[in-house]
Amino acid sequence: MNSASNRFLSRRGFLAATAGFAMSLPMRPGRASAVDERSIKAAPSQARVAGSDRPPASAWAYNDTVPGPVLRVRQGQPVRIAVENGLAEDTTVHWHGIRLPNAMDGVPGLTQPPIAPEASFTYEFTPPDAGTFWYHPHADSLVQLGRGLAGMLIVEEAEPVAFDRDLIWLLQDWRLAADGEIAGGFGSAMDAAMSGRVGNLVTINGTVPADQAVRAGERVRLRLANAALARIMALRFEGHRPIVLAIDGQPCEPHEPEDGRLVLGPAMRIDVALDMRGEPGGRYRVTDDFYDGLAYTLTTLAYDNAPPLRTRSLDAPPALPRNPLPEPNLDNAIRQEIVLQGGMVGGGKLAGVGGMMGMAMPGMKGAAAWAINGTSMIGDGHAGMMPQFMLRRGVTCRLTLRNETAWWHPMHVHGFSLLLLSRNGVPAPHRQWQDTVLLAPKDTVECAFVADNPGDWMLHCHVADHQMAGLMTVFRVT
Amino acid sequence: MKLTYALTALGLAVATPLPALAATIQAVMYKNPQCSCCEAYATYLEHNGFKVEIKPVNNLSQISSNAGVPADLEGCHTMMVDGYVVDGLVPVDIVKKLLTERPAIAGITLAGMPAGAPGMGGEKSETWTVYAFTKDGKGPTVYASE
Repeated sequence: MNSASNRFLSRRGFLAATAGFAMSLPMRPGRASAVDERSIKAAPSQARVAGSDRPPASAWAYNDTVPGPVLRVRQGQPVRIAVENGLAEDTTVHWHGIRLPNAMDGVPGLTQPPIAPEASFTYEFTPPDAGTFWYHPHADSLVQLGRGLAGMLIVEEAEPVAFDRDLIWLLQDWRLAADGEIAGGFGSAMDAAMSGRVGNLVTINGTVPADQAVRAGERVRLRLANAALARIMALRFEGHRPIVLAIDGQPCEPHEPEDGRLVLGPAMRIDVALDMRGEPGGRYRVTDDFYDGLAYTLTTLAYDNAPPLRTRSLDAPPALPRNPLPEPNLDNAIRQEIVLQGGMVGGGKLAGVGGMMGMAMPGMKGAAAWAINGTSMIGDGHAGMMPQFMLRRGVTCRLTLRNETAWWHPMHVHGFSLLLLSRNGVPAPHRQWQDTVLLAPKDTVECAFVADNPGDWMLHCHVADHQMAGLMTVFRVT
Repeated sequence: MKLTYALTALGLAVATPLPALAATIQAVMYKNPQCSCCEAYATYLEHNGFKVEIKPVNNLSQISSNAGVPADLEGCHTMMVDGYVVDGLVPVDIVKKLLTERPAIAGITLAGMPAGAPGMGGEKSETWTVYAFTKDGKGPTVYASE
């Protein structure tokens, strides 16, 4: 299988999983000390994103691999990750979705000084929540993420959860030029004011997907992460019925996705239980049909000819154990509203960003193309960013996210997971917690969280072009 | 407003009867799949003697850049017509002028999405400058104003 998370996915692991009917457990490295020590280095590298038969593209990578190494850590166990900067520009690492101390959040200027070239910084935190998370730079985000800097961060449950296999698909989207190199033109005004830098090649775990070898009857935990700059994905598994177990790392009530489509905005993760109910020797497509007229086959589930692993189908997958998230108190909540404004609209102006009517695209030359509540914060984060709102530690914040624009936005809140309450007035089902909430044009989403973690926290669109061009704000928990 | 353009185009066609323009002009439009004003522009062209094939693409800025459109003069879509690039909401009389005159350029562009332009809503509130561009590194020049 095209997923290289650990030895669990090796041939040996596959055979072990298929040899008997016993559910195997995720493997984890032995630990010599109480603190789990890791190190990653960001540096220029080469990546064979278009396949082994094509010349590699000049990319930026963690530890010379695209994506970066899968970091598997354990819920409740302290981890120390040394990050070395081998790039020619500043960087930081953001541990996306992890609830951690503000100083470890990786936002340059706001939570730490950026890591200068040849310098390093050690992040230390104890992940409270088990689940599927990821890491990426938060400096020059558009370019650094677009050149390949991203990796999976798996927090294993304190009590292991059994599946036949645990698979990772870290999805990246590359805009390649005709020569196979990563195309320039980062920060184009058109991308900034429209749907962002969507690419022309989607990879799974760093390479154009080959067939995914599967065995009839097995139950797989598939961890999907959208690490694209801008591409929204809507995955369908032909002939299969994936059950959503967790969104953005946080377990929800197990459910089949609406219309059978797994919709992943940039930075979102979904864990599914995927029962391999196809025929031995069968082939089943995995497609992405998010953009009208641009559906494509991402990969194919290619079944081994071996007889099914089990003769009887399994019961519905049980819910994953819940994480220790503080329960919002809605009776006594502080209401805040975030209104997303701007972007290209009919009439040639930016709604709420000063009525851009001129000859050029909005967002030209680093100017704002978007705003939150009438204010445009551009870039990646910097010192002196004034909070949009303040919350006293411990209060429940009932947050309304209102999209006035004509475009989609995956809105990411640092430091917290939000309980989804409703979307466009309809109560949100499945008790979902998310750190990245995808808003369709004109959507209004209500959510809530307990402001239990002090600091200045960023809230921004995870379409990197949108963030850089003004769709970003900060709130403070005192 | 559309009527004005239609009449202008008709006037042009009547005043300068060119065999090349008598037949339907084939065009291919590359557009963002999530943007709708380009489709209104395509309809406007189809009412004016064009047949427009619409191709939604996710890397429009790359296509536009490869076509030679200067980054600071990008329109909201890129169209290939009879050997030329027509970028943005260029009025049809100017497109037909281009196809008639056949200058030694790569194409023309009306930057941004100005109010009142064909396919857009709103009232025209300013003079539009349509620029000509080449792929030989020279700067853009004014091709037409309206």
